[in-house]
Amino acid sequence: MNPIFLFFHKTGSPPWFYKYSGKLIPWLWAVFLALTVYGLYLGLVVAPADYQQGESVRIMYLHVPSAWMSMMIYGLMAIMGFIALVWRIRIMEVLVISSAPVGAAFTAIALITGSLWGRPTWGTYWVWDARLTSELVLLFLYFGVIALYNSFDEPRKAARAASLMSIVGAINLPIIYFSVEWWNTLHQGSSMGSDGPGIHPSMLLPLLLMATATKFFYGANLLSRARLTLLKQDHRKRWVQDLLSKESH
Amino acid sequence: MSHTPFILAAYLISAVVLFWAAIAPVLNKRSLLRQLKNRQAQMDKTQ
Repeated sequence: MNPIFLFFHKTGSPPWFYKYSGKLIPWLWAVFLALTVYGLYLGLVVAPADYQQGESVRIMYLHVPSAWMSMMIYGLMAIMGFIALVWRIRIMEVLVISSAPVGAAFTAIALITGSLWGRPTWGTYWVWDARLTSELVLLFLYFGVIALYNSFDEPRKAARAASLMSIVGAINLPIIYFSVEWWNTLHQGSSMGSDGPGIHPSMLLPLLLMATATKFFYGANLLSRARLTLLKQDHRKRWVQDLLSKESH
Repeated sequence: MSHTPFILAAYLISAVVLFWAAIAPVLNKRSLLRQLKNRQAQMDKTQ
């Protein structure tokens, strides 16, 4: 068999996925911690205050990566949901539903930190601005996917419904991204425009480090959640029984 | 207006949310494995 097909075939097998993802998780956490510590050091200690925003610019090192992650995770959920529905790959269904709480956490952080940045900078915690409102809709979409999955008794039917909702909800992603161009909003434009980043390198480096760290957080947390979901769904199957008897000896 | 309370609140809330997101599957897995082991032990006893 072609090595690429073989890899996908093996990844689709729950016992194989469970075994190898367990080996990968500690490494992902280690990279996340290293990048976060260095990124926070640069962002909180080394980087200067902004000439307009003052010290509150330091909230950006959390807010911007979280906002990027909130959109990226939903986009990935839509792609994985499409693969799950078309090719009926069970691991993809598990990854969709395991991604939703992580995406909801990042969306909540983006909204809260944005609000805490807005008070000293704009003079208000919240405005019904297109960017803020569409990001809030994204949080409700994440909650919707989680609630829909939990409303079914049969896990595979639940995962397929959640996958479908992920695909439909993806319509909100371009709305969030282009909201600052389509409407006259209080929220500033993109930090990483098509003509390069409009940020000084001393601020750009911690921002990129934190953005990379959040990807590793997502990877480690996603795999932990996917392993838990597999255990819950397969607890009567042979591979889980073998695993339990191995652990008890 | 001092920005420090807003910065501290942002970092503290984010740390709590991320820590909870990270720890929740670990705690759930531990509790699930305990349940499954207990069930298996009960089944072994009845057989």
